Amino acid sequence: MSFEVPAGGCLLVVGPSGSGKSSLGLALAGLIPRDLPGEVSGYLSVAGLDPRTAGPGAVAARLGLVFQDPGSQLVMERVEDDVAFGLENRGWSRAEMTSRIPVAISGAGLGGLERRRTNRLSGGQQQRLALAGVLAASPSVVILDEPTANLDPDGASDFFRRLASLRSEGSTTIVLVEHRVEAAWPLADLVLALGPDGTPIDIGSPEDVLRRSADRMAKAGIWLPDGRTSSGPGPSGPGPSGMDAHGTPTPSAIAPAAPPGSPVLSAAGVGFAYERGSPVLADVDLAIGAGERVALVGPNGSGKSTLGRLLVGLLRPTAGQIRSSGADPSRLRARDLALRAGYVFQDPEAGFLTDTVADEVMLGLGPVERAAAPALLERLRLPLGDFGARSPYRLSGGEARRLSLACALVRQPRLLVLDEPTFGQDRLGYAGLLDILRRRLDEGVCLVAATHDERFVADIASRIVRMDAGRIIRDVEGSAA
Amino acid sequence: MIVARDLAPAQLDSILGRTSPVLKLAVAVVWFVGLATTIRIGPPMVLAIVALVAGMVVGRIPPRELARAVTPIWLAALGLAFFNTVFAAANADPSAVTVAQVGPFRITEAALASGVGLGLRLIAVGAVGAVFILTTDSTRLADSLVQQAGLSPRFAYGALAAYQAVPRFGEDLATLRQARRLRGLRGGWHPRLLVGLLVLAIRHGDRVALAMDARAFGSRPRTHYREVDWGWLDLGVAVGGAVVLAVALALGS
Repeated sequence: MSFEVPAGGCLLVVGPSGSGKSSLGLALAGLIPRDLPGEVSGYLSVAGLDPRTAGPGAVAARLGLVFQDPGSQLVMERVEDDVAFGLENRGWSRAEMTSRIPVAISGAGLGGLERRRTNRLSGGQQQRLALAGVLAASPSVVILDEPTANLDPDGASDFFRRLASLRSEGSTTIVLVEHRVEAAWPLADLVLALGPDGTPIDIGSPEDVLRRSADRMAKAGIWLPDGRTSSGPGPSGPGPSGMDAHGTPTPSAIAPAAPPGSPVLSAAGVGFAYERGSPVLADVDLAIGAGERVALVGPNGSGKSTLGRLLVGLLRPTAGQIRSSGADPSRLRARDLALRAGYVFQDPEAGFLTDTVADEVMLGLGPVERAAAPALLERLRLPLGDFGARSPYRLSGGEARRLSLACALVRQPRLLVLDEPTFGQDRLGYAGLLDILRRRLDEGVCLVAATHDERFVADIASRIVRMDAGRIIRDVEGSAA
Repeated sequence: MIVARDLAPAQLDSILGRTSPVLKLAVAVVWFVGLATTIRIGPPMVLAIVALVAGMVVGRIPPRELARAVTPIWLAALGLAFFNTVFAAANADPSAVTVAQVGPFRITEAALASGVGLGLRLIAVGAVGAVFILTTDSTRLADSLVQQAGLSPRFAYGALAAYQAVPRFGEDLATLRQARRLRGLRGGWHPRLLVGLLVLAIRHGDRVALAMDARAFGSRPRTHYREVDWGWLDLGVAVGGAVVLAVALALGS
């Protein structure tokens, strides 16, 4: 690939999952091949240096990287020290640091939190801190790798506002890798679209790229900014059933919600605390009927994930009671629980138990389910032929999540609880996921999904339960659409 | 006790709180070496009492918190002392002086002395360790190790990041067990859980290392935002520590 970003410009990199977007960022920073295995060929110059031949850290000293996972990129214990860390590494004097750090912290909207432990910040605050730490050193280039993927909508829009003001200052070149194109597209001076094999589809101004290559991008599974998806010409490939050509659901594809019968799943006065005295959930009452599709929404840390694990029976409530088809799910034998409920973890990697994709999906299955697994993986775009022998830990974020979903779906459970099922999904991955979920829902499966993804809520939910600070604050029928 | 937490400002601003962490470590090590030279019961008692009183007076540690910190290791010390006394080889020696005889158990003077000596030394170690932990901020410990003891920054700050990640182990383990339950597999322990934990720990370590390098770690000699300098206080604590050890060893004779 070839491209050139003018100083102070903003390059947006889009591409389907597994197309090498993250690798590009790491290569620009010189972390490939220095820290991570890989090979970089061709001509590469970042802020006047070739990352491959410049000394260790020489390029890193002139640029800043922000990764996707907020938790693992903060090094020091406290906000102030973490901002200082990058400056210390660059050899700033103490006086320079003392004057610079408060400015950087307040610029990120974190004023007053200087001594707060970084692991006590919300995901949104952590991500703004990561950016503050990077910007404090006034780097000439900032590379952001899906910086808002783990954030709730408020956290994400805050982050993008911060990015917009950075761009308008015009002194920093921005390379932004992003799936959420609605917010990112307006910031871009230049768009690089990568195909599934990592070769560029197109590069140019946002308008030119959309005009020239919207079809090819759509076919490769790249999200396009809103407005274009409905007005642009459709791709030639057949879309999944129940969608129009761009993966937007056609209204008829949404089955009416099943009439409310006796609840399949109910929670009465449920509370939960990981540590005594600091409850993360309190007084949760919820009754879910067959065929209901519940979206759990709310800010990071509001208790969505914990409620999901309670409903499946992975945790036992510390107060109140949960009934799933008449039984307390946390007391079921594992064999029975596995047949009733499927669950996808927010961090799918944390739930992998084997060394290959094939073993992972087959783990604990009987012969009938084993026979169904290959077709399921095929539909989730993880065909056994290509992926079967790969390590589950070496998948892209979107692929790992689809594998985790396959493990949950393969037993045909009556209850599906999904924690952020759409993180990192490109358009084709998303469409495949939606298609498969809809089929299960038509068979009367009950769905609970904790999600920040407003598109997913609009596409699938029949009921929206909003949580805040461990309580249900709103429970309404109908999707957000 | 292993989870990183914030100390109260009073503890951090106390005399022991402001003392160089490296110096406190050095005093503790010298005390432990001193204890290893004797099996008498006097020296460890003196050192344990001095450590606890110093912790509360010049370390401003709330007594309740200090008690909570020493309890686990003290209980272990009591258990160890008990078993080493009751089941010591010396008890079988017919020529030894019997102190007590309870049913089939005979306790000799030699066994009692070595059991109590061992227990008291552990109690002293527990007290000194608790006072160190409850007056030392972990970030300052890392800064001090780098600036005053010449420890490699990569090691010190890497260890600090790892220390912060300790709570993750518990979460990772819980998630892996839940993942097994979701596949209909038996609960309890399984070797695969260890493999999974190891994989997740290594991946987390890789990510932190990557994050450090991405922030220009090692690109040039580092400067320090928080400088840890030697001061008169450190000299005082060093002299005080040496005097206490000398007195303890002398008193115990």
